[in-house]
Amino acid sequence: MRIKTRTVGFARSFDCRCSVIAIALIFSAMSPHSRAQSDENQFQNVILPTLKTYCFDCHSGDAKEGGVQFDSENQDGLRSDKTLWLKVLRNIRADMMPPRDAEQPSRESKIALTEWIHAKVFQIKADDPFPGPAPIRRLNRVEYRNTIRDLMGVDFNAEVVFPPDDTGFGFDNISEAMSLSPMLIEKYFQAARSIVEDAVPKTTWVTPSTKWYGKEFQSEDHSKNGKSIRHDQPVTVQKRFEIQHAGEYRLILKEKLDGSFDFHPGHYQIQCLLDGNELYTDKYKWEEDKFIDHVFVLSLAPGSHHLSIQLSTLENGEFEISEVELKTRSVTYEILSATLDGPMGEAFREHPHGYPYFFPREAPPADVAGRREYALEILSRFATKAYRCPVSPVSCERLVSIAESIYQQPEMSFESGIAKAMMAVLASPQFLFRAEEVETLDEVSQYPKVDEYGLASRLSYLLWSTMPDDELIALAARADLRKNLASQIERMVQDKRCNEFFESFAGQWLRARDVENVSIDPIAAMGFQKEYSILRNRFAGRGLGRRSRQNETAEAPETVTARARFTELNEMRNRFDAGVRSAMRKETEMSFECIVREDRSLLDLIDADYVFVNEKLASLYGLEGITGNAMQRIPLPAGSPRGGVLTQGTMLAVTSNPTRTSPVKRGLFILDNILGTPAPPAPPNVPALEDAADRFGGREPSLRELLAAHREAALCSSCHSRMDPLGLALENFNAIGGWREKEADQPIESAGELITGEKFSDIRELKRILKTDRRRDFYRCVTEKLFVYALGRGLEYYDDVAVNTIVEKLDREGGRFRVLLNEVINSAPFQRRALSQDELHQPQGQ
Amino acid sequence: MKISKHSRRAFLRGAGVSVAIPSMLSLLTRSEAASLAASTTESGVPLRMAFMSIPNGVQQDHWFPTTDGDTLALSPTLQPLESVKHQLQVIGGLKHENATAGNDGAGDHARANATFLTGARARKTAGKDIHVGISVDQVAAQGTSGSTRFNSLELSSDAIRNSGSCDSGYACAYQYNLSWSSATTPVTPEPNPRLVFERLFGTGSHGQRQKNFEIRQNSNRSVLDFVLEDARDLQKKLGSYDRHKLDEYVSGVRHVEEGIRSTEKFGSVPDPTQQTPLGIPNDFGKHIEINLDLMLLAFQTDSTRIATLLIGYDGSNRTFPNLGISEGHHYLTHNQRVPELAEKVAKIDRFYIERFAAFLEKMDAVQDVDGKTMLHNSMIVYGGAIADGNRHTHANLPVILAGSGGGKFTTGRYLKVQDKPMSNLYVEMLNRFGIATDSFGDSTGRLEEIF
Repeated sequence: MRIKTRTVGFARSFDCRCSVIAIALIFSAMSPHSRAQSDENQFQNVILPTLKTYCFDCHSGDAKEGGVQFDSENQDGLRSDKTLWLKVLRNIRADMMPPRDAEQPSRESKIALTEWIHAKVFQIKADDPFPGPAPIRRLNRVEYRNTIRDLMGVDFNAEVVFPPDDTGFGFDNISEAMSLSPMLIEKYFQAARSIVEDAVPKTTWVTPSTKWYGKEFQSEDHSKNGKSIRHDQPVTVQKRFEIQHAGEYRLILKEKLDGSFDFHPGHYQIQCLLDGNELYTDKYKWEEDKFIDHVFVLSLAPGSHHLSIQLSTLENGEFEISEVELKTRSVTYEILSATLDGPMGEAFREHPHGYPYFFPREAPPADVAGRREYALEILSRFATKAYRCPVSPVSCERLVSIAESIYQQPEMSFESGIAKAMMAVLASPQFLFRAEEVETLDEVSQYPKVDEYGLASRLSYLLWSTMPDDELIALAARADLRKNLASQIERMVQDKRCNEFFESFAGQWLRARDVENVSIDPIAAMGFQKEYSILRNRFAGRGLGRRSRQNETAEAPETVTARARFTELNEMRNRFDAGVRSAMRKETEMSFECIVREDRSLLDLIDADYVFVNEKLASLYGLEGITGNAMQRIPLPAGSPRGGVLTQGTMLAVTSNPTRTSPVKRGLFILDNILGTPAPPAPPNVPALEDAADRFGGREPSLRELLAAHREAALCSSCHSRMDPLGLALENFNAIGGWREKEADQPIESAGELITGEKFSDIRELKRILKTDRRRDFYRCVTEKLFVYALGRGLEYYDDVAVNTIVEKLDREGGRFRVLLNEVINSAPFQRRALSQDELHQPQGQ
Repeated sequence: MKISKHSRRAFLRGAGVSVAIPSMLSLLTRSEAASLAASTTESGVPLRMAFMSIPNGVQQDHWFPTTDGDTLALSPTLQPLESVKHQLQVIGGLKHENATAGNDGAGDHARANATFLTGARARKTAGKDIHVGISVDQVAAQGTSGSTRFNSLELSSDAIRNSGSCDSGYACAYQYNLSWSSATTPVTPEPNPRLVFERLFGTGSHGQRQKNFEIRQNSNRSVLDFVLEDARDLQKKLGSYDRHKLDEYVSGVRHVEEGIRSTEKFGSVPDPTQQTPLGIPNDFGKHIEINLDLMLLAFQTDSTRIATLLIGYDGSNRTFPNLGISEGHHYLTHNQRVPELAEKVAKIDRFYIERFAAFLEKMDAVQDVDGKTMLHNSMIVYGGAIADGNRHTHANLPVILAGSGGGKFTTGRYLKVQDKPMSNLYVEMLNRFGIATDSFGDSTGRLEEIF
């Protein structure tokens, strides 16, 4: 790790040394021995009594439930067991421990215990918490695509070319989870080449050129165009165009012949005319994907011209063609494009498209030194932008050498040399990875700040999933970014690039992305599976078409009704088609966007009096009066169960099985993503849910009964009594998010109780409990998710202080999203970093 | 006769008979030129090795033959293999200890997926310190490096990724990768058939590919030094963990370098007459078929001798509307007590076998220089690391070993072994491939029974 030296470096390090001396002085007043004594006193007088009162019943002596024993003989080992105490923290915070039927510690005792764990077990200073490492991060697919768009001005479809990124801790931007296989390196090289090929001009000048596609060639009555013409339908299509300058032009006509295979291929003639004069006439027949180019050099006068293509059918010669054969063959002719280059000559030449973006000067100098200097200017500017930080002169020199090695070859342009060097930049690890440098140590912390370029990238990849723009880089270059942080955050949040944050962060946290791929049979989800399969056996393949029915004598009324019902059920499939799924995804993203952009409370995600829907989604939700395909924000009627992510199609569908809902998965979703108290994974070899069905003596039990039977087993009960009631409260929503009053012909009972004791009768009350009594759990959960996403790593015990501080503040500020965002951005883990891996596991306590 | 446009152009239809392949003589010279005893049969033709995995175990009573012994009486699920059964052995009694829960708790599917080709226990982590073991195909690839244009080929028919976490606390890398080039680096499989084809043979249409392939390599060559120097610069600034990330980058670049060298060594790039396939087909069955066709083509052109195909990732809850199955596969495997649902599991098992059988038939229709079929000169493992998807057992795994490894294995039978590690089979295969080794993964010896 290189520490940046700046002119202010001396002053800073001087200050720093002073403060170290000051700290040393304070501590020397207290000998190590007396400090240890005071720690022991604190434990004996404050912590131990709390543990004795509230924990010892189950966790001391022989009663070591869950393997936890607070009076173990190895007290040193116990009091430094970070994993254990992190669990203790989580359990007391979420009111999981002590169990709710036992006596509860006061808020003060909880705070004292928390502070003791932070300070003595974790050895973290509240005013200078250990920021954790900042692993280098590879651009994921989305970030790569966006970065290329902003850097090169082209859209590269990374989702098709690169394999999906492996996720870790719930997100696809986690440094350690994103491995880099040799295949991916190969792909990076290939992508670099094709992107440069697309984006960077290879010459200084080009002849002006105009290109028309087949569609622009129209028949007189505009009923046909040159995109696809059948061989047996004579037609003339033409394109009119104007030219300004007299001169020599070149016309390149690209055509494609195609058609389906037949006994006898069709023959036809193509005649091409310019202003009525023949350019060429050719006879064609059936071909498969045959491409033909015609090139003409023309001398054209200024003014209007027209280029026409006449197709006429030829006789079939010696072959007899039957009626049927005539009908079935489809031989086609297509004008792919017509390109008119000109006028020729230096006087008319122009720069290729996009030239000034990469090459600021009119033309490269002619002399060797001048070219070198210009190459250096272009490439160091480009590499700085691509690497998102200043680039070493050595590295720039290497780039110039690559460029030179190309453009010094005969017939190779200056520009193609630059292009090759740009390809090298795009394949470089400095482009593909984000590595950060740090500032000189300051007086307030023993951990250095990430330098401002690094901070600019942290911000832009967090909020935009792309590289910092010119404004951020300019601020970083002047070391002004930290000074203007608040206004930059505001600007970034309002920028349209922030949509990437809603899609990537909310899309993964709330799993909105997955709704497009989840496989659910809408008919089964709506409870019509049995009825449908009977009808399908009766009607499928028996000709719903009119023709077959005409032959039958009048159908019995019952048959008519049944057939109509079959058609109706078939049409129900579109209640969960691609359009509806996409609307669901947008709904979740927009709910989140609204909270971010309007700085609303995060609690709106639990419950809100508005939803975002279009016509089809509204109709699935049973909301009336919404028309059109556009998503719109509408107020909900009073007492509506909708509002908030728990009642959105995304969450309801992605947690369902293909044919039915899964209260367990829904409950798990709430524990994982709302309360932040995930249940441990199920033990292996658990009996299947349906195995419990044996006890109902042949009667079909409801899902609720099944789950209850399942929960009787002690092994299952500890977790399922946490998950199931949450999921069962949502049973009024079927697997595609529609409302229902019954399931398997039994009324839905949505009442239940949280593990922490709060009782609810339905989803409305559950939401109310979540946004009042359990709101701090929710704040903590969102804070942790945002930290993971922002830092690209899983959270560790040492992050608990930063998280805790933010949760407190969020609660005071009514859960406003901006409070969360600002606090995360200003937190130690986001602003600073531990210097190297070697120091990682030893936070410098005292 | 009218043939529809679609079917006429279907990529590689009947590839086994119509593919233009380089003359077998040149193949022979090529492998002689490489002067490697490894990955060749005694008659001097290439020996191929492939592995493919199916998810969620199988409906055991439908899958395994009921009688063992020298005449193979195929079970209902394995019926589609009838025409090639003389070229394969169904193996019962193999196990993967490291796929069991042990002290790691839930997450059987991710664990099984990770263990299938590694024989190792995946470290339970949601994203940090991923660790399992090198996979058998990669041991073979590294041991015969440079004997073909590509050391190995990794394919996948399962491209859908869900957000959020993967199976019960395991990082997704375990669940979506079969091949591991080291204990910590998965070899990502390619799901897109077009990209596989272009990687093997170059972009563009028949006739242009050789040129495009060379342009690509020349272009890569000119930037190799630069990116390696950049990597070195970066390396100096980083902490030890980050250095490990950079090492992955550097070894990837070395791999590109090797690729260039091996193209130079082998001269011309084969240029199949087929059209380049389009992207990922919508139909799952087609996707598997096209992947298997690509594998066949890679073998035929001797572009590689080692391939893996992840047919479906373990834990997949895919539905099969074409088979009239609207429930998810994973869900169904946990409901085998309901006869109707168990039937559906068997139907899915058979769906997979049908694709495998079609592939073997094509392999069996291609003649090698020694007059034998390409299937004869291969060893292809088909199976998974879960035996029974309901109980999540890992003993008596469903395994088929197709091909006779150049006439060495006894085929056409149901071979029952006594509860031995799957890794023993891999040790035997590696040795047959010319890689002398006594152990792999959790092996306890070799599996001589297959001879």
